[in-house]
Amino acid sequence: MKLINRRSFLKNSAAGAGALALSRIIPGSWVSTTKAISKEYFESEFGIDDGMCRRVLDKALSRGGDFADLYFEHTISNWVLLEDGKVDRAYGSVDLGVGIRTVKGEQTGYGFTQELTEESMMAAAATAATIANTSGKKSDSTFVKQKSENYYPLKSLLTDVPLSSKLPLVKTVNDTCFELSDLIVKVRAGLHDSQKRMMIVTSDGVKAEDLLPRNYLYASIVAEKNGRKEQGWFNYGGRRDFSYYTLERAEEIAKKAVDQTVVLFDAIQPPAGEMPVVLGPGITGILLHEAIGHGMEADFNKKNVSTYATMIGKKVAEPFVTIVDDATIPHQLGSLNIDDEGVPGKRTVLVEDGILTSYLHDKISASYYKVEPTGNGRRQSYQHYPVPRMRNTYMLAGSAQSEDVIKSVEKGIYVQNVSNGQVKIGEGDFAFYVSQGQMIENGKLTAPIKDVNIMGNGPKMLTNVTMVADNLELNQGGTGSCGKDGQRVPCSFGQPTCLVKSMTVGGIQ
Amino acid sequence: MSRDMLDVCSWVIETARKAGADECKARISKNRFVEVEYREKKPEKIKEATTQRLDIDVYVNQRYSSQDTSDLRQESLKEFILNAIKNTKLLEADPYRTLPDPSYYEGRANIDLRISDPEYSGLTAEKRHDMVKEIEAACLQRGGDKIVSVTARVNDEFYEEAVMTSNGLEGHRESTECWAEAEATVQDEGDRRPTAYHWAGSRTLRDLPDPESVGRVAAERAFDLLGAKKIDTETLPVIIENRNVRRILGGFMQGLNGRNIQQKRSFLADRKGQKIGSDLFTLIDEPHIEGGFGSRLYDGDGFPTKKRILIEAGVLKDFLVDWYYSRKLGWEPTSGDTTNLVIPPGKRSVKEIMKDLGRGIYITGFIGGNSNSTTGDASVGIDCHLFEDGELVQPIAEMNIADNHLKFWHKLVEVANDPWPYSSWRMPSLVFTDVVVSGV
Repeated sequence: MKLINRRSFLKNSAAGAGALALSRIIPGSWVSTTKAISKEYFESEFGIDDGMCRRVLDKALSRGGDFADLYFEHTISNWVLLEDGKVDRAYGSVDLGVGIRTVKGEQTGYGFTQELTEESMMAAAATAATIANTSGKKSDSTFVKQKSENYYPLKSLLTDVPLSSKLPLVKTVNDTCFELSDLIVKVRAGLHDSQKRMMIVTSDGVKAEDLLPRNYLYASIVAEKNGRKEQGWFNYGGRRDFSYYTLERAEEIAKKAVDQTVVLFDAIQPPAGEMPVVLGPGITGILLHEAIGHGMEADFNKKNVSTYATMIGKKVAEPFVTIVDDATIPHQLGSLNIDDEGVPGKRTVLVEDGILTSYLHDKISASYYKVEPTGNGRRQSYQHYPVPRMRNTYMLAGSAQSEDVIKSVEKGIYVQNVSNGQVKIGEGDFAFYVSQGQMIENGKLTAPIKDVNIMGNGPKMLTNVTMVADNLELNQGGTGSCGKDGQRVPCSFGQPTCLVKSMTVGGIQ
Repeated sequence: MSRDMLDVCSWVIETARKAGADECKARISKNRFVEVEYREKKPEKIKEATTQRLDIDVYVNQRYSSQDTSDLRQESLKEFILNAIKNTKLLEADPYRTLPDPSYYEGRANIDLRISDPEYSGLTAEKRHDMVKEIEAACLQRGGDKIVSVTARVNDEFYEEAVMTSNGLEGHRESTECWAEAEATVQDEGDRRPTAYHWAGSRTLRDLPDPESVGRVAAERAFDLLGAKKIDTETLPVIIENRNVRRILGGFMQGLNGRNIQQKRSFLADRKGQKIGSDLFTLIDEPHIEGGFGSRLYDGDGFPTKKRILIEAGVLKDFLVDWYYSRKLGWEPTSGDTTNLVIPPGKRSVKEIMKDLGRGIYITGFIGGNSNSTTGDASVGIDCHLFEDGELVQPIAEMNIADNHLKFWHKLVEVANDPWPYSSWRMPSLVFTDVVVSGV
């Protein structure tokens, strides 16, 4: 999922580890830290105390900024990969740094450093401060710790699990794929885990910490039949701990990948043109992400460049359509205890009973619209300033039966698996790629289909949703991410089976 | 600085070998960048920082891992390296994992690629602000009362790296880039607010095009999007604008990749020497273009770069095979990377070509879509215009093209004379015939 944006501005090299972090690596795991889950992590590990934060914030406000914040990050990532039957490669990465933001009205100054020393932070703060050019002010003298729920409670961290415990999972994915079908000729499998520790300290006296896990186990396979090859893949993941990754789950991942791939030998490309489209439950919620989610991010509306800029309070869909963006679903990939500005995770209703209700706000846009922030201020890392972003976006279940939705279509397509969504914010035109689905003919699912792009217009699509079933599913993968302004953040989506009465299918004539 | 960076690489390698690594590769990189963005005639975003990173690949008893860190202090690095080697030993052996045979490092060109601006340190904050103001002003002036929003940006970057292996490779590279960009959003009918982009970049500030032109063209491109409509599905000639060729060609290039070939994920794997496109389809990798965004003297394996013809008159000549996958395939390595990709330009302008074609589609952007590297099937949404008798007559919304790369490149009937200079993929506009464009 990415917004149309002609290029990523900055080819920032990935940041690396801080010195202190590296000196505490323990044996057994790939890259790890000793303290699994601790409070006041950045103070105990790196000596970042309130006095230091206050001095840096004062520097960031020294030229008259309205507001400043510090975003500390320490992220550890590991990859263990199998190819051609062997777990023969591993990658590790550590990101440590602090981003310093000064806000003046709607203007942002931003500097960051990889060294958590006061000297380096003061230099970055001086850079951020240049966005303003008046007399300075001071930050609040005390910081109050932000309270929040925990939507991803963890018994342990994957980064603290020994490598030897991870290898059987990856091997099981590989072996099960080959056991399930003689058509499988290549398997790649892998386990990725990362943990991001972050701390926000703001000039208006808020201090918040979080530990965000992200992980997934996947199979990527190639099958061959009568000289033809097809590829497919599947993963499970999210904000999980190691107990989620059982050998049974590894087998299930393999089965899903194999089933989704071998069926492609019978798949056709559908005819091109406008036709009814039934979205199956789960990952097809990517359509909502593109068709409405991005257009509801408040920064676009503040600039008046979104097609939804003047639609709040208006009817945009039938009364049985309600769409939310929700940070509070346990272990879901887009869930957040607090956002990257220190605002507690929330559930935001975008469309309620067919009426457009709320944009997705960060602090800057919330201030502009004079509303409370919705907890959507997110950033890729300390190297990026926050902007409004989605979390878990989905449509609530309706009352129809999924079989009845399919039966209602004389000729159209049924979408099961999708990827590569994209939207043009101002026009509302969007597209997503169907990697797997089926034709619908006379109310019945018939030939499998694959490799077809579907296009539509967001506001038009919403009015074209004519049936919503009762079978809401959330995507359970751990790889979903969304690109905007050169930043990627993890997110998820969900969808009950629903009928869109007309969209443009980019098939063959 | 290069000697200091190489000295750190040398120490990393020595430490790794003492700790039990058979072989090691170390690369240190530094990056400094600045971005200034304006909206409503005042700075909207200012960002500035410097980053550094060490990447190490370790090889222990046919086992391999790769890691990165920004902490270049010796005491921290030592523990980092020891831990990496200890864990690498837990992996399974892979006999193909080695550093390249050092004979493949030989023959590096001794030329100045002119990819680093000697005057870069003279680029001041004031100059950046002046440029971005000029971009914004030009866009606003050209856009007039149709403009909803203009965002103007400049950014620049200095990059330096040193690379070394335990078997004799040494490399150092320094480069700079400067970019200017504008986004213009205009009011269309109803709630449609199309946004267009224009940008330009160069290795040196001196070569950066006039900022005024960047802003002006962004506004003009936004005007071109006004009044978009859907049209019927039909079969038409199609021109893909130079800056957008990369999106389609990128799907094709997946088939050339050595890893995809070895992993049976390439639709081109068994087609070397075969005709896979029209006579006009020639694709060359040119690493030594002065000031090129992809110009470099050595590739990711440390091999010297050289001109390579990948496709010649529609015949597949060469794959992109790095050292590791060459060993798995039992082939000679070429290079796993591309540098500056070039399709030799033709003689006529897009305008002249349009006139001859009569009626067709001019693609100015892509949306969504994908390309399957295993089968070659591709389907992608397009931003486009209908043209008739050499003139753009109607912007089109919600349109798509779908084809297989093994058929599509045979439909290439002309190459325009306008290679896009602001990318390492220097593609001219390409003309294809008999393309199904699906709409209503």
